[in-house]
Amino acid sequence: MQSDIRESETIEFDSRKPVAIVGAGLAGLTAAYFLRRQNVPVVLYEAGQKIAGLATSFHDQDGFTYDFGAHFLTNRLAAATGIGAHCRTVKYYGETVLLRGRTYSYPFGLLQVPRFLAGGLASRIQPVDEKRKNSSAAEWFRASYGRELADEVALPLLEAWSGAAASDLSASVGNKLQNSIGQTLSLKLASRLTGRAVACGYSHEMPENPSVWHVYPDGGLGLLCQKLADELENAIQLESPVEEILVDSGRVQAIRVKGREQAVSAVISTAPCNILPKLVKGTNVLQPLSRFRFRPMVFVNMRFQGRGLLPDTVLWTPENEFPFFRLTETPLSMPWLAPSDKTLITVDIGCNVGDEIWQMEEERLGQYCLEHLKPIVPDANQRYLGCRVLRTPIAYPVFLNEYEAERQKFERSTGVEGLYSIGRNGEFDHILMEDIYWQTLKKVRGIVGALQH
Amino acid sequence: MVKQPITKLGAPCRAGANAPLSLVSVNCCICDLNDVEPVGVGEDFEYRTSPDTFLAVRCRNCGLIYTNPRPAMQDLSRIYPPDYHAFEFSAERYGFVYQVRQKLEARRLLSCCKGLGKDARIIDVGCGDGFHLNLLKKFGQPSWQLEGVDPSDRAVEAGTRKGLKIHHGIVQDLVEDFVLPQASYDLAFMIATIEHVDDPSAVLTTVRSLLKPGGKVIIVTDNTDTLDFQLFKTRHWGGYHFPRHWNLFNPNTIRALAQKTLMEVDTLTTVVSPVNWVYSIRNTLVDWQAPKWLVERFSLNSTFSLGIFTLFDMLHQWMGRGALIRATLRRPL
Ligand SMILES: Cc1cc2nc3c(=O)[nH]c(=O)nc-3n(C[C@H](O)[C@H](O)[C@H](O)COP(=O)(O)OP(=O)(O)OC[C@H]3O[C@@H](n4cnc5c(N)ncnc54)[C@H](O)[C@@H]3O)c2cc1C
Ligand SMILES: [Zn+2]
Repeated sequence: MQSDIRESETIEFDSRKPVAIVGAGLAGLTAAYFLRRQNVPVVLYEAGQKIAGLATSFHDQDGFTYDFGAHFLTNRLAAATGIGAHCRTVKYYGETVLLRGRTYSYPFGLLQVPRFLAGGLASRIQPVDEKRKNSSAAEWFRASYGRELADEVALPLLEAWSGAAASDLSASVGNKLQNSIGQTLSLKLASRLTGRAVACGYSHEMPENPSVWHVYPDGGLGLLCQKLADELENAIQLESPVEEILVDSGRVQAIRVKGREQAVSAVISTAPCNILPKLVKGTNVLQPLSRFRFRPMVFVNMRFQGRGLLPDTVLWTPENEFPFFRLTETPLSMPWLAPSDKTLITVDIGCNVGDEIWQMEEERLGQYCLEHLKPIVPDANQRYLGCRVLRTPIAYPVFLNEYEAERQKFERSTGVEGLYSIGRNGEFDHILMEDIYWQTLKKVRGIVGALQH
Repeated sequence: MVKQPITKLGAPCRAGANAPLSLVSVNCCICDLNDVEPVGVGEDFEYRTSPDTFLAVRCRNCGLIYTNPRPAMQDLSRIYPPDYHAFEFSAERYGFVYQVRQKLEARRLLSCCKGLGKDARIIDVGCGDGFHLNLLKKFGQPSWQLEGVDPSDRAVEAGTRKGLKIHHGIVQDLVEDFVLPQASYDLAFMIATIEHVDDPSAVLTTVRSLLKPGGKVIIVTDNTDTLDFQLFKTRHWGGYHFPRHWNLFNPNTIRALAQKTLMEVDTLTTVVSPVNWVYSIRNTLVDWQAPKWLVERFSLNSTFSLGIFTLFDMLHQWMGRGALIRATLRRPL
């Protein structure tokens, strides 16, 4: 995708002072791309040796692909960035829940369980005490899905995912994950009929419909970032962590990179927002952000002989006998991620940085998972071919009630003029790539507007 | 274990068209902004000229629907293959439907020409093989001076064979090279043209310069203010004609375009057309891999479906929401 400069809007800017973008993941690249299109000078600083951040895949010699974070994007995002010709359609994507040794398709299979159905219906009929419902994630889920479904499925998963008690989590978690039952039903039905993995609950920024489905770019999700980066050749500086953001009189003035100070007209950060208080010098309005927590996680990618070891692409395991809360057999949806007679199961384990799981070395983690997989895949041991472990301290934002008010305030603005925090970790929101793209586009417009004044 | 077939990359495409096109991103041609929301994703359902997928977006500022990113100009010959229908409207091929269409179109055209003098000079910009010029020649005043413009050499060839005067190229170049004289024409037609061009306001500005003061241009183009658009916009809408219709209008955006190019809106109405209905259904069937015989029911060859949807669209026309827009814009005196 080349940009057509002739048609793009020309804005007069002080070219000596570029906009500095912190991080060359999807958010940073998208911001840079669109600022460039409006002739705003940008410099993109990336701490790592490569671009793409969380949208990275690794390939091994045996033909397996390991996605670091993202597993798929949508055909709509692929078309928006001009990589549709390089993507494969994901034909199927299904989720099931394991309860007392039985699996139920998610979400409708669960409603075949009489107590869930009864509880769910009761929650619909009973008058809702809005104040109570909004007091915590626990109350929110109970009010929305019924006590039984909440207590046995939703809340244990939420707790494993976030590492906090559901009663300590804010009700906004529910609002963020919600999709109406009617919509879910129609999208799942459309998926059946069209033989495509229609996105359901993927995008909250743009409406979902049967024409939006999962695709996977040739070689991995990083292709999307690469495409954007192709337009930005000389604006990206790798291995250049932004060390400081200098603020004076409530306004961003400069940044420090590799010890050198550089004047900037604005800073767009995609770094985890809770490190901003450490980066930003000259004000402490960002201090409340240092309390925001991300859930660290270990992803154990286990290689097996055979295919179809799990009942569905994703298996949720809410029962606490399991140390993990989710298993994903990605090749059931994306067969190209493993050789045809083999498969890959990703085991998600929430942990804390430095704890036993976090420190466990690769092969021991593999064995540990194998042991706990036995009730689900009885011959897992015989099929096992080894594993590859990915760890991240910032897998998911944790929406604690204790800082919900600050989070909502931060959602509106950083409180520092000329400083913007965008992207998944920058916004402290569990958003997927398509939402990042459209939200960033929207923010860039706001930023350009602010710069013009 | 059965070997799972690996899905192909990109959209299905015809033999020899496997290479992706080069795509360019553009701003809204009216506002020159890139303030959009996505509306639909599709592919070249009709001609399968590339494996690319395309996004139709709506400008949040003015409501224009446009394809973004879109093919680069150097790939035009790929997206308009030799079998492209605008080049092949021969009587034998379309038989009865052609006859009906001819009569209908002739009536519509002549109603646009009311009040023109004997020596009127008329130009059809984006004339294709000269279908409309030919009708004017047949049914209009013999003394009218008729000319056409089209960038496709096959179209020019076909039109010239019919004895029409057709200039080869794009209208801006032809004016710059003094092939077309400015302020000389009484009437211009842009029928199913504006949606194909890369820069509608530049083209319209040029056409304006060709007109005598007080002269008119008739624009006919797909209407996005319709039920068929609402129903099919997320993917299969015939009017997208992916990836060849780059800008798609409604009465409001046509007005905005007129304002931008300093034209006065004389009349703005909608016109009945079954084509977008038929192609929306056809695209849906093609996309869902329906059997060929069923797909063939929905084409320009099918008297039945064209008839049914003409009637159907007449209902919408009564509500002022016919499938096509017809705008008469005037160059101010
Ligand atoms: C487990 C998991 C699964 C996911 N699955 C999906 C999925 O299936 N589909 C989907 O669409 N999305 C998925 N996502 C989300 C998607 O991966 C992210 O939303 C997206 O990649 C985030 O992009 P970003 O630019 O916001 O952040 P990042 O990709 O994290 O980029 C931030 C960049 O900033 C750099 N950086 C940080 N600090 C500094 C500094 N001080 N100076 C310079 N550079 C710095 C980092 O090195 C990094 O490259 C998933 C995420 C996770 C964690
Ligand atoms: Zn616009």
